[in-house]
Amino acid sequence: MRWNRALAIATKDLRDTFSTSQLALPLVVVPLVVVVGYPMIYLVALRYTPGAANGLQGFLTSFPDSAVPVFQGMTSAGRAAYIGIVYLFAGFFLLVPVMVSTIIAANSFAGEKERRTLEGLLYTPVTDAELVLGKVAASFVPAVAFTWFCFAIYTVIANVMGTPIIGQPYFPTPNWWALMLALVPAVALFVIGIVVLVSAKARGFQEANAIGGSISLPLIGIVAAQASGIMVLSSGLILATAGVFAALDAILIWVIVKSFRRSRIVSYLP
Amino acid sequence: MSEAPDGLAIEVRGLTRQFGAVRALDGIDLEIPRGAVFGLLGPNGAGKTTTVRILNGVMEPTCVQRLTVLGHDLPGGIADVRPQVGVQTDTNLYERLSARLNLTCFGRLFGLDGREAGKRADHFLEMFGLTSRASARVETFSKGMKQKLLIARALMGHPSLVYLDEPTAGLDPEASHELMRYIRRVSRDAHATFFITSHRLEEMENACTQVAILDEGVIKASGTPLEVSRSAILTVRVRVRLAPHAVLARSELMAIPGAIGVEFDGDGMVVTLAGIDAVPGFVRAAAALPADLMGVAEEPPTLQEAYLALVGRGHHVREEADD
Repeated sequence: MRWNRALAIATKDLRDTFSTSQLALPLVVVPLVVVVGYPMIYLVALRYTPGAANGLQGFLTSFPDSAVPVFQGMTSAGRAAYIGIVYLFAGFFLLVPVMVSTIIAANSFAGEKERRTLEGLLYTPVTDAELVLGKVAASFVPAVAFTWFCFAIYTVIANVMGTPIIGQPYFPTPNWWALMLALVPAVALFVIGIVVLVSAKARGFQEANAIGGSISLPLIGIVAAQASGIMVLSSGLILATAGVFAALDAILIWVIVKSFRRSRIVSYLP
Repeated sequence: MSEAPDGLAIEVRGLTRQFGAVRALDGIDLEIPRGAVFGLLGPNGAGKTTTVRILNGVMEPTCVQRLTVLGHDLPGGIADVRPQVGVQTDTNLYERLSARLNLTCFGRLFGLDGREAGKRADHFLEMFGLTSRASARVETFSKGMKQKLLIARALMGHPSLVYLDEPTAGLDPEASHELMRYIRRVSRDAHATFFITSHRLEEMENACTQVAILDEGVIKASGTPLEVSRSAILTVRVRVRLAPHAVLARSELMAIPGAIGVEFDGDGMVVTLAGIDAVPGFVRAAAALPADLMGVAEEPPTLQEAYLALVGRGHHVREEADD
C-alpha cells in the first residue's frame, strides 16, 4: 500500500467534486438550512413568541423526565429548547453525512465511469486497495468534516440563542459527543461502502446517487422517532449503534476490496 | 518473472477472448521487440481495444498459451508491468481540472514526487504547445488540445512501453508530425516501445518499424510495413520514366516477360509485373529498349493497398478517412 498514491486520488477527487457549483452548492446549502436554519427558527420562536412552548406540550410530554435535566428556574420554554436542541435535531445530523457522502461517492465512482475517466486510472500502477481507499477517503473526509463544521455552528447557536431560554450553558451534551465522534463517521463510512458497491454496476451518477440515497430512508425513521419521543438518542444507544455500523463497515470494506476487479469494472464501462 | 525471448517487449501466443458467442480475438500471436514502434491496424471492431485491455491487465483472456509483457507473465505479473507502461486510449480527461493538474495527478500515481511531476508536466505542456493554457480547465480545450494532453498523460511516468490509440486523431498536421518525430526519437534513444493502434495507414507506414493487421480477431499479416505490403500484394509495380519527347509503345513493355499490365502515368508508364522475381529481367529488358529512358524503378506496394487487400472492406476505411 502506497499512501501517497491513495492521497493523490483523494486530492484529485476532492478538487474535481468541489470545482463545480452543481455539486458543491447542494452539498453545502441543504445541510446548512436543515441543521442551522431550522434550529435558529425554533429557538427564536421559543424566545420571542409567548406561549410557543404550550403548543408543543404533546411533543414535550412524550419525552421521559429522565431525558431532561432540571435546571434551576427552567421554564416550559427552556424544557422545549433543551429537548429540541439535544434530541429533536440530533437525527438531522445523521442525514448530513449520508447526503454528503452519497453525492461525493456516487460522483467519484459511478460519475467517473459515466464521464469515461475511470479507465485511465485503471491503467496506472495504483493497486485496487489504493484506488478504493483514495476514493473512500475523498468521500469520507468531507462528509465527516462538513458535519463537524455544521456541529460547530450548531453549538454556537445552541449556546448563544439557547442559554438565555434554558438558563445556563448546557451544550454539547455527552450524547452529542458520541454522535459526532462515533456514529457520524461510522454511518458515513457505511453509506460510502454501499454506494461503492452499487457504483460497480451502476451506469452513471444519477443511478448510484438514487440507490445510495435510499439508505437515508431508515435514518428519516430515526428523526421521526426522535420527534415523537419514541426513541431517545442516549449516549449508550448511540455508541451501541455506532458499534453495529462499525462492524458493518469492516465487512463492507472487506467485501469491496475482495470484489474489486478491474476487469469487472471495464466490462461495465460505456 | 518469465524468461521471455531476448529483447521482446511483448510476446503473445494463442490469445483468445470470447464475449458470449462472439470471438473478439481468435488465437492471435504477437512478437514485439523492445524499442519497436509497433502499429496494430484494423477496422472498427477488429479486436484492437480488447487486445490493449488484455495486455494491460484490465481484461482477462478467455484462453492464452503465453502472455508476456516486459518480461513478466500476465495476469500474475501485471503489478510489475504497470509502473513501466503509459496508456492513451479513447478515455476522457478530468474536464473540471486544469491541464497541469491532470498531468501532475497521473505523475504522482506513477510515483513521481510533486516537484518532479510538476517539472515533467511543464515539459510536456511546452512540447505540445499548451503552456499558455496550463492553468485553464480542460473543458475549455479543443479536441486536438485534449488529445495532446491525453498523450502527455501517458508519457508522464517515464514509460518503457507506451500504448497509443489513434494518437494523431484530432491533431493538426504539425502536431502529428511533431508527435511522430518524438515517438521515433524516444524509441531510438530511450529504447522505449510504442504500441499504436490507428487507421492512418500512411502515417503508420512512415512511423512504425513493425505492423500487424488485425481483422475479425485474427492477425492477417505482421512484420515490417514493407514485409506486410509485399505479403499481401504479390504483384510488383515498376515505374518507367521516359525522356521528354521519347515514345514507347505499350506493346513493347507488355512483350517483356513477367509484365501483366501497363498504364500511362505522368511522364512515363507504370508496369505491373507478376512477381518480385520478374523485376531484374524486366529492368534489363527495359534498358535495352530503343526509347530514351530517364529511369526504371520499382514502386513498392503501400501499406494501405495491403490493408485493403487483406481486410477487404475498403469502403469502411475510406469513410473513416473522410471523417
